Amino acid sequence: MPARQQNASVGRTGAQEALRVQRDHEAIGRLADDLLPALIAKLAASGLGEIEVREGGWKARLRKPAGADEARRLAARASAESHAARGLAPGRPAVSHGRGSEDRDARREDSEATAKTEPGLVAATSPAVGVYHPRRDLTVGTRVQAGDRIGWVDVLGVQQDVIVPVDGLIGSSLAEAGEAVEYGQRLVQLDPLERVDESGDPGAQGRPAVAGNA
Amino acid sequence: MFTKILIANRGEIALRILRACRTLGIGAVVAYSEADRESLAAQLADEAICIGPADARHSYLSAPAIISAAVVTGCDAIHPGYGFLSEDEGFADVVRAHDLTFIGPPAEVLERFASKEATRRLLGSHGLPTIPGSGMLRDEAHAIGEAERVGYPVLIKPSAGGGGKGMRLVRTPRELESAFKVSRSEAKAAFGNDALYLEKYLDDNRHVEIQVAVDRFGNAVHMGDRDCSVQRRHQKVIEETPSPALSNAARKELAERAVRAIAAAGYENLGTLEFLLDAKGDAYFIEINCRVQVEHPITELCTGIDLVALQIKIAAGEPLGLTQADIVSTGHAIEFRILAEDPGKDFKPQGGQIGAYLAPGGPGVRMDSHIYPGYEVPPYYDSLLGKLSVWAPDRAQAIARADAALREMLVDGVMTNIELHRAILANQVFIDGKVTTNLLDRVGSAPFVAAGNR
Repeated sequence: MPARQQNASVGRTGAQEALRVQRDHEAIGRLADDLLPALIAKLAASGLGEIEVREGGWKARLRKPAGADEARRLAARASAESHAARGLAPGRPAVSHGRGSEDRDARREDSEATAKTEPGLVAATSPAVGVYHPRRDLTVGTRVQAGDRIGWVDVLGVQQDVIVPVDGLIGSSLAEAGEAVEYGQRLVQLDPLERVDESGDPGAQGRPAVAGNA
Repeated sequence: MFTKILIANRGEIALRILRACRTLGIGAVVAYSEADRESLAAQLADEAICIGPADARHSYLSAPAIISAAVVTGCDAIHPGYGFLSEDEGFADVVRAHDLTFIGPPAEVLERFASKEATRRLLGSHGLPTIPGSGMLRDEAHAIGEAERVGYPVLIKPSAGGGGKGMRLVRTPRELESAFKVSRSEAKAAFGNDALYLEKYLDDNRHVEIQVAVDRFGNAVHMGDRDCSVQRRHQKVIEETPSPALSNAARKELAERAVRAIAAAGYENLGTLEFLLDAKGDAYFIEINCRVQVEHPITELCTGIDLVALQIKIAAGEPLGLTQADIVSTGHAIEFRILAEDPGKDFKPQGGQIGAYLAPGGPGVRMDSHIYPGYEVPPYYDSLLGKLSVWAPDRAQAIARADAALREMLVDGVMTNIELHRAILANQVFIDGKVTTNLLDRVGSAPFVAAGNR
């Protein structure tokens, strides 16, 4: 058995893989630097609902009303240089990854984006797949308590609450009002209170906590 | 035709449906649970969306989560795969209420065939021989009376569901008395429905099924039979086509009767009619599966028809586009369910991380699997790692190719039943094509495992 396993590993040449990874990186670079800004501008200016372009083995699709989300996703994807490496690590038989990086598309970047957020910041996540509606009265810096409802996700007409997991301060929004979100998606960044206290922010204690429900 | 399909399933069948969508030029969104974030289907999909936590009740079995995912991703149809919500008429109905198409039989067709007992009567009235049995059982006394009439041994069967849950073999009134309550509560727990009926149990029976396809316009064809007699505790392990238990004349007659009856009963889309064959070779209809079957690849190998693509086309309202004369089944195909379980420990399902994985190749070899090196097998779902299917011009060559492919297959990191498959292939009863559904359970798997290790 071990001998066979080794054969499997050296079956694909490292050079082929390296070349493929390099091509992917070049494509990602072009997407991020040239294509994406132009596309976003074009979509915003036009009356189109969706734009799709193909570049090499990559495909970029921007769609309204989730346009902002898509841009964020694409940007996250473009900057996630670990993509190709994760899927096609040298030494692994690449049997399963038929078409390589083109296929690792929209779903990866959530975890990539998560990894990119500032360490120490937690987030309120989506309780379900649906359309996101944040509470309008909350702004960055608003103090919230664990269990507070800071918005909801509309699941076929039924509201599912977005709940704050910890006491803290509202940080930046990671999703737009009206955006389609998936289960577990990070929606609002939070600065936990302990951390705020340690950093000596005098304003933190002074702000009133918001009521549990809007 | 659809523009975009939501794939509401996981594992190898999610991948299979994705491949069919790509072949047809239809967009696809893979709906996955948190535990399947790293699944191959989710990775390969152009679009994927997390619909809920690992617990299937809140993801793959959650109609709101699945339909919401289809709506927000702009899909116009949902493919349920097999298991989960694939035969749930309530789900099919809600899908339609949201202006989406359920890829499978329409809700009212699923409803008509939802009760196994009623289906048996319906198809019996359309000329299919059915196994002697009872109507719905009112209580224990009724059950004992019916069992006397049918003749022991009898199987107690839940009218809803499948997979052997709630099923009991009883040989005496005393056994029936004690098993009745257990079956009723098991059925209630598993399917939310405790309706039971009795069926005459055939010792040494064989399981043969007929694949059919019916379009919205009533055009109906069959794609031959599959023999699924290699079973362990009512779970199929190896399937082959054509069945070695049927003569060509008997095969043709059974398939033609099946397709006539199902068309007359108003069925629509892909379906499988399951029969038991007794020792004399007489076939009795037992139930219909209103979905794509796990074992569909062997029919595809012999007929050259993409069954999942056909299923999608029928659901889209297209005509079959082929007649019975167009369907020619050639050669012999065998499928092996590769399961993450330990045959040495009573087939206990195994979780774990796949180390090395090498799919076998060569002429007539097909591997349907969602695993890859480094893939973590989630402990929440079934233990199916993939399906090896082989095709050859005849059965003997198919067995030889299968053995070579099983030797070549490498799955490291979890225990599998690959060696059990090889042992079964080497067993004279299998070689002679004489396996009955009770064989593995009767002799136990130990002799097979021991033989395979020699």
